[in-house]
Amino acid sequence: MKRVRIGVVGRMIGVLIVLGIAVFPIYWMFTTALTSDADLFAPEPRWFPDFGQFYVFVDALAEGPTLTWLANSTIVAIGTTVFSIGLGIPLAYALSRFSFKGKVAVGLLLLMTQMLPEALMVVPLFSLYRRFELLDSLAGLILANTAFVLPIVALVLKGAIDGIPKELEEAGRVDGARPLAVLLRINVPIILPSIAAAAVIAFFHAWNEYVFAVTFIFNKSLQPASVGLAGFIGEQGTAIQTIMAVAFMFTLPAVAFYLFAQKYVVSGMTAGAVKG
Amino acid sequence: MTTLNARASRRRRSPLGSRWTPYVFLLPAAAYIFVFQAIPLLQEVYLSFTRTNLLNPTRSEWIGFDNYTRVFASSDFQQTLGTTAVYVIACVVGAVGSGLVVALLLNGSFPGRGIARALVTVPWAAPGIATALIATWMLNAQYGIITRALRAIGVDVGESGILDNPDLALPAILLTTIWQLFPFVAVVLLSALQSVPTELVEAAEMDGANRLWVFRVVTWPVIRPTVGLIALLMTIWSLRRFELIWLMTRGGPLGTTRTLVIDLYSQAFDSKQLGAAAAIGMVGVVIAMIVVVGSRLVTRAAEKDTA
Repeated sequence: MKRVRIGVVGRMIGVLIVLGIAVFPIYWMFTTALTSDADLFAPEPRWFPDFGQFYVFVDALAEGPTLTWLANSTIVAIGTTVFSIGLGIPLAYALSRFSFKGKVAVGLLLLMTQMLPEALMVVPLFSLYRRFELLDSLAGLILANTAFVLPIVALVLKGAIDGIPKELEEAGRVDGARPLAVLLRINVPIILPSIAAAAVIAFFHAWNEYVFAVTFIFNKSLQPASVGLAGFIGEQGTAIQTIMAVAFMFTLPAVAFYLFAQKYVVSGMTAGAVKG
Repeated sequence: MTTLNARASRRRRSPLGSRWTPYVFLLPAAAYIFVFQAIPLLQEVYLSFTRTNLLNPTRSEWIGFDNYTRVFASSDFQQTLGTTAVYVIACVVGAVGSGLVVALLLNGSFPGRGIARALVTVPWAAPGIATALIATWMLNAQYGIITRALRAIGVDVGESGILDNPDLALPAILLTTIWQLFPFVAVVLLSALQSVPTELVEAAEMDGANRLWVFRVVTWPVIRPTVGLIALLMTIWSLRRFELIWLMTRGGPLGTTRTLVIDLYSQAFDSKQLGAAAAIGMVGVVIAMIVVVGSRLVTRAAEKDTA
């Protein structure tokens, strides 16, 4: 009995250390945002947030381009989510329920996309976009992001459809429904949790995306927050508190949603890698 | 599936539709991926055999394998390859190792387990840009909390700070990357650990078996396929990782953090050499393909051994 107790205490200490390492940088972001100049440059660091400084967050939103950035990021993220789910559901259904010529080729194509760095594809996409006047537009970002997140979304959804017993569909087909109707009426309602998880993946893939946004967008009023935030690095004009406040507001939704969808995201991503 | 097709031809309005049905479902996504991934990739392959300037991309000149021979002959690129190898291997080993330890820690009963399992994923969920920003601030030469802590225990990182120090920049970026990755490894391994037979572990521990021995004999065989899979994923991701390194050091100081992707981006947009950039990119893609195919072969051989 005594040995077990020591085991639990040791485990708790280990867990607390790990959690400290995991959470501290985000805590430090928040604390730095709420630290006065005097405390910031003092010889001893201030370890706790000074809530008297809360106006930093308010000012960061009210002044400067923060709201525009977050709005642009939101538009790009929503567009990417809608596109990738809309294209991903039929793709996942085809891969899950049918066997057809070229299925292996499609699988290979999806695997291939996992190996292509955005930084490599940015050059040919740039020339494509110049031809079709998609530079300097949020639509262009949505299209590029969709291409990169669509395979992951499709694999998450395929895993979910794989899990639906075929008898359920067959029952639905008795009344002679067409394949699309079967998919929409029977499969989609069942896999809604996985669709939500795939939506979270797609949304924050686009929310976090940087390479395309920094290369394709020149007009400052169209910049998403990732580019705006990155612009703070090496720039001297903005107070570190403001930078950290904006970074924290940019981080918070991503962390909150991932905590909510974590289970599905992880199982989807590993399933995708297995099947790849 | 021939039965399906036969049924489809017998009855026009078969429940699964005609044999074209899968292609109808497939077409939108496949066309999309073809336009936005396959065609650009082919263009990159073509570019890698040409001399093309970013400022005048329509006038490109076919030069065969010159970009490749020139790239491989340059000492800068050899440094890039070395840095990439160190970065990828250290990321994989560091993230899988730390993730496994964390998974084993979390795979027990203790108060607050649910909260702990959720909180541990925070680094993975945080956007890469935000991670780069906070890491840069924590490593700031004067006021960074890590620099202060190191100074307090008597470690001198130099005037210009950790990220400008050729010996310390890569380790700092590695630790930041591992911080980002270990939660993913931990959560995936945690779910793999659920299929380890607990009765077996408990029985062995009852008999006074050494914990390490139990891990090696009971736990490891169950989670080994998952570990292999994660290592493969980590390798591909680390070969692709751009923004964290680009924002923290841009490949500097003295090229000590310049991986393949960083090299390719700065060739394209700083040196404006699209052809050389494409050649570097192709080297990266080929390396990734070799890793994937190689790991598949190893897995298949292992499966044959057990069968």
